[in-house]
Amino acid sequence: MTLRSFLSTAVLSAGALFMFSGCSPKSDQPTVGVCFETLQTEYWAESFDALRTELESHGFAVIEAISDGDANRQLSQIKNFLVRGVDGIIVAPKDRQSIVPAIKAANDAGVPIVCYNRPPAEGDHQTVTVVADNFALARDTVAYLVEQARQKGGKYRAAILIGDLGDENAVNRREGFNAALAGTEDFIEVVARIPTEWNQEKARAGLVNALQTHPDINFIFTSSDFLLPSISSALQAQNKWHPHGHADHVLLGGLDGDATAYQLILEGYMDATGVQDLYFEAEQSVQALLKLQREEPVEARILDPGFVIHRDNHEEMAGRTWGARVFARNQAQ
Amino acid sequence: MVRASLSRALLSDYFILGLAGVYLLGMAPAVPGLLSPLNLANLAEIALPLMVLAMGQTLVLMTGGIDLSTTSNVALCSVIGGMIMSGADEVLAGSALAMPVGVLAMLATGALVGLINGLSVARGGIPAFMVTLIGMLLLSGLAVRLTRSLPISDLPDAFVAISGTAGVALAVVLPVLVVGHLVLSRTVAGAWLQSVGQNAAAARVVGIPVERTVMLAYVACGVCSALAAILLTARLESASPVLGQRMLLDIVAASIIGGTSLFGGRGTIRGAAFGAILVCVVTNSLDLVGLTFAVVMLSKGAVILAAAALDAFRSRLLAKAEGSA
Repeated sequence: MTLRSFLSTAVLSAGALFMFSGCSPKSDQPTVGVCFETLQTEYWAESFDALRTELESHGFAVIEAISDGDANRQLSQIKNFLVRGVDGIIVAPKDRQSIVPAIKAANDAGVPIVCYNRPPAEGDHQTVTVVADNFALARDTVAYLVEQARQKGGKYRAAILIGDLGDENAVNRREGFNAALAGTEDFIEVVARIPTEWNQEKARAGLVNALQTHPDINFIFTSSDFLLPSISSALQAQNKWHPHGHADHVLLGGLDGDATAYQLILEGYMDATGVQDLYFEAEQSVQALLKLQREEPVEARILDPGFVIHRDNHEEMAGRTWGARVFARNQAQ
Repeated sequence: MVRASLSRALLSDYFILGLAGVYLLGMAPAVPGLLSPLNLANLAEIALPLMVLAMGQTLVLMTGGIDLSTTSNVALCSVIGGMIMSGADEVLAGSALAMPVGVLAMLATGALVGLINGLSVARGGIPAFMVTLIGMLLLSGLAVRLTRSLPISDLPDAFVAISGTAGVALAVVLPVLVVGHLVLSRTVAGAWLQSVGQNAAAARVVGIPVERTVMLAYVACGVCSALAAILLTARLESASPVLGQRMLLDIVAASIIGGTSLFGGRGTIRGAAFGAILVCVVTNSLDLVGLTFAVVMLSKGAVILAAAALDAFRSRLLAKAEGSA
């Protein structure tokens, strides 16, 4: 590389950055910073789009920041929002502890902040959290599976794929699973509790191991639908991937309500999933932000009750299921 | 004449600092708040841990090795410190000794990990890439195992205050960088490090203790990881088994942008620190602009690639300068 070509590259790069910088919102438009830990699952990507749409419908410009799973970066990004002088912040925290300094920084700057989907650790900081009722959703989804098992008869060996236990949502989903199975010990035995740390590879490896140790597992609950590809892959490898009606069908339930889950319910491979109503959550997050801006009272935690979609009600519930919308969009493309 | 001046500027450590300054001033009109005191304080907060980590990596790169385990070492040190200091039923909950013991334990953990890496590379003869890649997996696994993936909170106020203001963190980092710079540029140990990286066999022939020099470089890198863990843990007010997990590329990039050769034998602490500043300035400005995640990643990748190209160009200039001397 010659000195001339190096300098040309440097000048072109600086020019490109300058052009990108022209994409920032107009200074007179109220602005909200939206910071997500990740966009790597359908749920987060669709949530981000729903929040953007909701905010724009209220006249806000949106600045986005994705932390790529890095709590330190998330804190910097929220401080950057404050430097930009945003009028509000909506954040999907990396974890409940590390988000606290970011909330404190927003509080000190007098900028309202709403936590989306993950509650922060308790303390004297001020924020509003909009989150699904994970315990009830998991409990009701598993209760549907239990009812199916009861109707079919026989003995069941169950496995649960557990999320990252640093995430309160994962803990509540596990507790919901446990609550639904309480009193069913006469016909359902939990033989595998598989830690996934919200990681597809770990989920697949854990389930493969569990199926080798307990080849008679016939009841599975996943704490998140984004792990379904790992489950279908592991079950197919063991020749246990059959739709409802087949003698060896494995009862399968999940939580989130993504497009894969919706498709698997349509095809009969999955029995039920608890749907987080992310459009409701996005709307409530923006409403909470507006109330905080107007200094009106607002509850510290707003629960999305969600609902269970299953084989028997999917036609009725499809319109409210975000995964069904994504599925329809994917089919149209 | 102009060409000669430009060449001299390119070979100087201060070129990168100048580049960061020009970049900041050039972007300031287009990036709201870039030069505001609040943002400069934010920049200091994110740059200081990276400067320390880049210093450690530079010492190892100079020996011709690499430490891929440095971010996992950060996580492990964070967890060990958190377990000792946390007021939530941990080892020294509520005790006045919690902070000093916790900090010492973090530094000792970092040094121990560095020693094991150094012994494996220098005495065991195992390639640094393999040793530290395996170390990365083992240390990460250990950090997750110790905490069962849960972050540790309720750290002493005095510890959290380390990162409370950029001034305190700077008072911790600056002496370390100055000492590192002086050791590398003004002492026999620094000269040994350079010689070992340039040609280990020749260094051995002239009586330089090659193994000991390599081991010390890894130990110093481990201590730098611990120091960064202290700053990052205090900043987030919690210890985490995944702390710093995504920083490895930034660390290596900062070292290389600062003029450290990936092939060993060349590098300065000053250059690494300036490289870290440039990486942070670019990241910070891209975030402030509010670009989409994909564009931020693409832009940052392009800058790091440009830095690698610059390194190749500087190496060629240096070789030419040495050839004509």
